Amino acid sequence: MPNGAWRGNFRAAEVTSWYARKRTRELALVVCFLAPSLLIFFLYRLAPLGWNAVLSFQSWSPMRPARWVGFEHYEEMLFYDEVFWQALWNTLVWIAAAPIGIVLALGIALLVNSDLKGASVYRTIVFLSYPLMTVAVGIVWRWMYDERGGFINWVLRSAGIIDRPLGFLSSFALALPSVIATEIWQILGFYMIVLLTGLQAIPTHLYEAARIDGAPAFARFTRITLPMLRPSLFLCAVIALLNSFTSFDLVYIMTNGGPGHATELLITYIYKLGFGQTKFDYAAAVTVVQFLLLLFLTFLANRAAGGNAGAVERD
Amino acid sequence: MLRRRTVLATTAAALAAPAIAQPRQRISFLTWNLIDQEALVKRWIESFQRANPGAEVEWLDKKGPELPAFYQTQLAAGTPPDVINTQGTLWLEYAANNVLLDMTPRIAADADMRGRFNAEYLANWTYTERNFMVPFYITKTLLFFNRPMFQRAGLAGPPQSFDDILAFAAKMASADTTGFLTLNFDWLYWPLFKMNGVELLTPDLAKPAFNTPKAVEVLEKLARASDTGAINKISWTGRWVEPNGAFAAGNVGMLHAHSPAYFFVKGQGSWVNSETIGAAHMPGNWATPNSHGLGISRASKNPDLAWAFVKHVTSDTQAGLFANERKILTGNTAVDRALLAKLAVEDPTLEKILRTQIEHTDRMTGNWRLPNDARIKDAFWPEMQNALLGRKTARQALADAERRVARELSRS
Repeated sequence: MPNGAWRGNFRAAEVTSWYARKRTRELALVVCFLAPSLLIFFLYRLAPLGWNAVLSFQSWSPMRPARWVGFEHYEEMLFYDEVFWQALWNTLVWIAAAPIGIVLALGIALLVNSDLKGASVYRTIVFLSYPLMTVAVGIVWRWMYDERGGFINWVLRSAGIIDRPLGFLSSFALALPSVIATEIWQILGFYMIVLLTGLQAIPTHLYEAARIDGAPAFARFTRITLPMLRPSLFLCAVIALLNSFTSFDLVYIMTNGGPGHATELLITYIYKLGFGQTKFDYAAAVTVVQFLLLLFLTFLANRAAGGNAGAVERD
Repeated sequence: MLRRRTVLATTAAALAAPAIAQPRQRISFLTWNLIDQEALVKRWIESFQRANPGAEVEWLDKKGPELPAFYQTQLAAGTPPDVINTQGTLWLEYAANNVLLDMTPRIAADADMRGRFNAEYLANWTYTERNFMVPFYITKTLLFFNRPMFQRAGLAGPPQSFDDILAFAAKMASADTTGFLTLNFDWLYWPLFKMNGVELLTPDLAKPAFNTPKAVEVLEKLARASDTGAINKISWTGRWVEPNGAFAAGNVGMLHAHSPAYFFVKGQGSWVNSETIGAAHMPGNWATPNSHGLGISRASKNPDLAWAFVKHVTSDTQAGLFANERKILTGNTAVDRALLAKLAVEDPTLEKILRTQIEHTDRMTGNWRLPNDARIKDAFWPEMQNALLGRKTARQALADAERRVARELSRS
């Protein structure tokens, strides 16, 4: 081998080795940075999830050792537990009601984004409900809905709309819509801000071009505003979906799932099973079903958003 | 040099001495919503530690809904608090699952403890004829009534029967007033059924016994009265704050609640005074107990010390302090007698209310020895709500409740 070629090969190998070492160093650095988060993710997310899945096939309580029971809890849940089906239905109704809040928020966002006088004041007023503590919201609305001395009944009776007070939270028909209305009232401001940010990010030249082309306002809304707002609307939809599965505090404070189980959600039912009835094993099985449902709905939402929600765009 | 060595030796000896002479024994004491009595609990602990050198007591307090969750997680971790205070029937599941220490032999061997408590309240803490807890403070339900509303409706005194309750309630009801309210948690509403001869379960607690024509009739009457406004619907939907708050507002004729409700109502209702509030037994003298007890975890590493602490807290001196601070009955007969004598002079209304708590103690109901009490309750109560709030007929609701309760009983 000629001396020059050998020297060239040596240099190439040296460079390759240097790059390999650099990559290893970089990889080690990345692993070092990621390790704490991954460890926490494993300890607080994956491990409990796995244990929960195992628990759902066992008979266990803090007072007795675990015993394998196979699909017994799932059989009980699917074929005998009426409350589970009621809670599942209510959760789905809660999810289905989410678009009402998003549509309302969109309307308000469009209003405060226009040249309306005092728009910033309205924006602040609408947003104010969001930072309030959910427990406080629940207590205030519970009294607002009160059958005897509640503000809403007083207004409706004073206006002559009803002659007998309505038991908003004691009625099987009205309790769930009443709690959902409260939930929408609280989160409306947040949706509005998200959508407003989306609206303000839409380039104005698109509207100007559409106007020059003679597009009417409705067409500008459906052809420009809505498509451009898709990421913001998707974000609101995902948050609404997650809220539906975690709206424990509002229901717990306002109705505790009652009357009967008229406002029971899967999440409140899981809590009651675990900590009220010491059925942690059965609660674990309900949790698995809730998790699968959430996974399925998130998959659907992702598909609806074009299949790449959450993807990082690279320049 | 000698001085330095002497100082070191003395210091080492001083540091080692307590460990040698008095090995420290530690117990923990878990209470249920007693944070307002912090000074008193600390006094109990200090006096106990003085009387038991080397003993150390750690106090933990949890609010009602948090306590079971906390205790269960501690059980799972294998570190349950040594002495626990529970309310209602929560303890039964613990006792049935061998989590609590059987106190029967200790009570039997201690004449002072044997004679200290009101026998019926002490018996309230037995499961399979063994005492797993002792009374800490005692309550049961009674009927409070709004005297001005009674006078306006032309009613002379408290109702004497179930039908009286409904008739009185109807008389006092109007667009802005209702006649009757009851608390509904922990079977507190059960006297309404019991006074009509309705039993929840068969005597062996194995099968439902409540689906009878009489129960249908009672439920129909209650539902009708709720629909007309004679009974306030909060009775079937509220928990503690809502019903007591509604009665405190002064536009409800009667409140069926346990004695602590008086302090809530008095604190909120400007109309409440000795002239305006009345207290009586429910018809038939039926009442549901909702007392607090003290038990010892079986996993306690220092059961003897824990037992000594239970004895200390329930002793005449310490329980006397508690009774006077909180104005409650403790189940310690000597302490309760002294408190009632004092209140007869200082606060006759409260004395009358508290006296009901130690009267007719043989007529306590809704305190079945069911280890799965919470599950039975959850199978039964929503169906009652369905009937009481008009979603189902009484017959249908009772049939559904029977099916659900029977399933829970068979599963246990």
